[in-house]
Amino acid sequence: MSMMKLALQNFKSSFKSYLAIMISLAFTILVFLNFQNLIYSDIFEGLGGKNKEYIDILIQVISFVLGCFMFFFLWYATNVFLTKRKKEIGIYVFMGLTNQKIGRMYMIETTMIGISSVVLGIGFGLLTTWLFQMILLAISDITVDISFRVSLTPVLVTIAVYLVMYLIFVIKGYVNIVRSSVLEMVSAARHNEYVRQNTFFLMIKTVLGLCVLFSGYYLAIKEGGQEVMGNVFAAVVLVVIGVYLLFGGFIPALFQWFARKKEFLYQKERNLWINNVIFRMKKNYRTYAMTCVLMLCSVTALATGFAMKVRYEGMVHFRNTYTYQILSSQAGLDEKVQSLIEKDNSISYAAEAAILNLDPSLFDTRFQYSSYSVLSWSQIKTLAKETGMEFELEEPGDDEIIQVSRLHLLSLLTDRSNEKVCINGKTYRQTVETNTPYLGYLQEQISFYMVNDAEYEKLKPLGTELYTYNYRIEDIYNFAASRDELDTIVSDADDNYTAKVVIDPNSSEIEWIKVLYTVCIFMFMVFILASGSILFMKLYNDAFEEKERYQILKKLGIAGKTLKKSLSHELLTAYALPFLVMMLSAYFSVHALEKMMYTSLLVIYLGSVGVIFVFFLICYLLSVSVYAKNAGVEK
Amino acid sequence: MNEKKVLEIKNLVKNYGTKGFHTTVLKGIDLEIRRNEFIAVMGPSGSGKTTLLNLLSTIDKPTQGLILLDGQDITRIPNKELSKLRRDKIGFIFQDYNLLDTMTLQDNIALPLSLNGVSGRACIAKAKELGEMFGLKGHLDKYPYQLSGGQKQRGAACRALITDPEIIFADEPTGALDSRSSKDLLECLKMVNDSGRATILMVTHDAFSASYAKDVYILNDGQISCRLSKGADRKEFYDRITDMQASMGGDFS
Repeated sequence: MSMMKLALQNFKSSFKSYLAIMISLAFTILVFLNFQNLIYSDIFEGLGGKNKEYIDILIQVISFVLGCFMFFFLWYATNVFLTKRKKEIGIYVFMGLTNQKIGRMYMIETTMIGISSVVLGIGFGLLTTWLFQMILLAISDITVDISFRVSLTPVLVTIAVYLVMYLIFVIKGYVNIVRSSVLEMVSAARHNEYVRQNTFFLMIKTVLGLCVLFSGYYLAIKEGGQEVMGNVFAAVVLVVIGVYLLFGGFIPALFQWFARKKEFLYQKERNLWINNVIFRMKKNYRTYAMTCVLMLCSVTALATGFAMKVRYEGMVHFRNTYTYQILSSQAGLDEKVQSLIEKDNSISYAAEAAILNLDPSLFDTRFQYSSYSVLSWSQIKTLAKETGMEFELEEPGDDEIIQVSRLHLLSLLTDRSNEKVCINGKTYRQTVETNTPYLGYLQEQISFYMVNDAEYEKLKPLGTELYTYNYRIEDIYNFAASRDELDTIVSDADDNYTAKVVIDPNSSEIEWIKVLYTVCIFMFMVFILASGSILFMKLYNDAFEEKERYQILKKLGIAGKTLKKSLSHELLTAYALPFLVMMLSAYFSVHALEKMMYTSLLVIYLGSVGVIFVFFLICYLLSVSVYAKNAGVEK
Repeated sequence: MNEKKVLEIKNLVKNYGTKGFHTTVLKGIDLEIRRNEFIAVMGPSGSGKTTLLNLLSTIDKPTQGLILLDGQDITRIPNKELSKLRRDKIGFIFQDYNLLDTMTLQDNIALPLSLNGVSGRACIAKAKELGEMFGLKGHLDKYPYQLSGGQKQRGAACRALITDPEIIFADEPTGALDSRSSKDLLECLKMVNDSGRATILMVTHDAFSASYAKDVYILNDGQISCRLSKGADRKEFYDRITDMQASMGGDFS
């Protein structure tokens, strides 16, 4: 009972200093719960097709990432409790308590913190589920009827996941306390030795870190064929390791070098804050590296989401190039089709082109597609003119070929030079790949290659020539009106093969990408919030340790204003270093994405970096004033 | 005795406590310190030594009386100027060294000067010169945890001296040192005083430390009860101080 009382008292007295951590823990629970709730809710049921399936996979992946994040966050938070408590625990040892008892007290106390954050997190989580779903759907631009309904399963899953993780760390802390010696406990907060790290090791870390980091950058943007997937994966691993080594090696080495240059060091407050940065760096470099990686993830997530959205819109646009496409073995159907359409709709533009359908066995390319067709350069040029599409392709030479492909959501092939295409024994060198939708939706179904007119004539005997008649109507949403008229010409006869394609602009076949986009934005915000608050919390705690030092400086007669200046430099370093390293690394990751997604992401890069900058600036300013208070520089 | 007055205390009174529960710690102290003096203030526990030093170093405000530092009444100047005054005119040596464990000894010594905006080169030169004077030449690149108490305290003395303050307040500077280290430190203080570089006011309960001063004031029950001046010989001065302590009785610690 008395043990319980003591723990409760401890919890009460330290409530204020743990509040920041509890709120952050509650926040992660809230986010996790919201995603879990999405899995068990039926709001995406209405989208139909593969959408629900993809969205579920997406949310599972995100939940996993969030779970990992929660794990590390808990690790970090419980460590803060442990070191902070260990100092006081030393006192209990002198009061005659055994390690086991102290450990039990620690467990009771941390369990209280854990349960409070669960209650907070689940409570606010439940309140926000409706809001979260509304926002998610609004940003995704999806209209689904939602009802506010919370099932018990996601709540239980969230609590279970959280408590299991929490328990692991509480037990870890318990074992740590039971095993530690009295001396160690008393001096847990007084490990001020080794201010300066061994220069030799730092140098090794520096060189290694820079090599690893830059090889990561190089791999990320290196163009290549199928090895790109491996490269990207290696780049991610290398950059993460590189960032850790950078903060563990290069940056301390740099600051220690500053500290050795006394003429540079003895400039106003510099003497004070550079030495403090060196001192803190040894303890904090993991935190800096972690926030840096987190921010890097968030920027990449946002850029991915944005690129996906752009690609999605491109694909919709691509598909809607023509409303109707007629593919027929008969030539000269143009006027007939036109008159059929014009019964119900007015045509905005129309074009026709012949395609030479070849048997796939004649082709030898890097990838095997199911159907191949060859186009002639001059016909497509005419088609482009009639439809108003751009056409800047040079006429290919006799052994050259142009690939006319579809838009891909993501392509791992970033190097497409020197592609070879072999048709019926003749090898062509692929000069360009275009994804202008000359043949609209058909381009998604058939792989087209464009050759010059002479080559086209040469290939003609090898396959069958088909004719495409392509129309776009004024009101694409009225596509259904002409459907029945067009059905009259569709035929499956041997001598007259005619097929039609009707494009529905409302198709929700790939709606899940919209959800992905929103989820990416959301992840961006969560990660940014997390990295900002991790840094903030770290500095918040550090401030208490600095109190003694600032007290000495005040005793020496150094003005509060000077001290504040010094500490604001110090905190600026803590925020700016991860930010700058992130900015550099994100440039490469976004650049790599740009290449895979064929989308310009510079705006997103600058935008997200800007958002982080503003958020960090706010955190920094808050930190400075809170730090000054906690360290006793200001009342 | 024609030197400039550095510190002048007139009728200094300090009360503690709330209405009805006044304790008068200092009961009207008058003291004059001229340039290049080395004064020790001694007294038993509770005699008001620490209070006096707190008032002089502007940490606390007196109830009544004047403290003129370099002609300026420090009890009546605004806080902003106060920190400037502390920075420029006073040097401190504390019992527990108060060196910053995050920086090397040289950085510690140079800190007040560099914070004042003095050029890096000048800071280095002065820190090195003082370090050498105090026998710390080989230790300047070490961190406080690598140094002995005596070395730390000598370092702290260097830090107090680096801004060329008008006066140095030393609060039980030998309190945490063994006799050998105490002697080294006191010799150093004596040397800088003799060479005309420092005016020192030292608060101590230790007769041995006090015997290094030129004059010793005995503080008793909030008043200066007597003053002893050193003659030619330090040992003889030491004997006189201990005799005085014995005659006064009380707890000198």
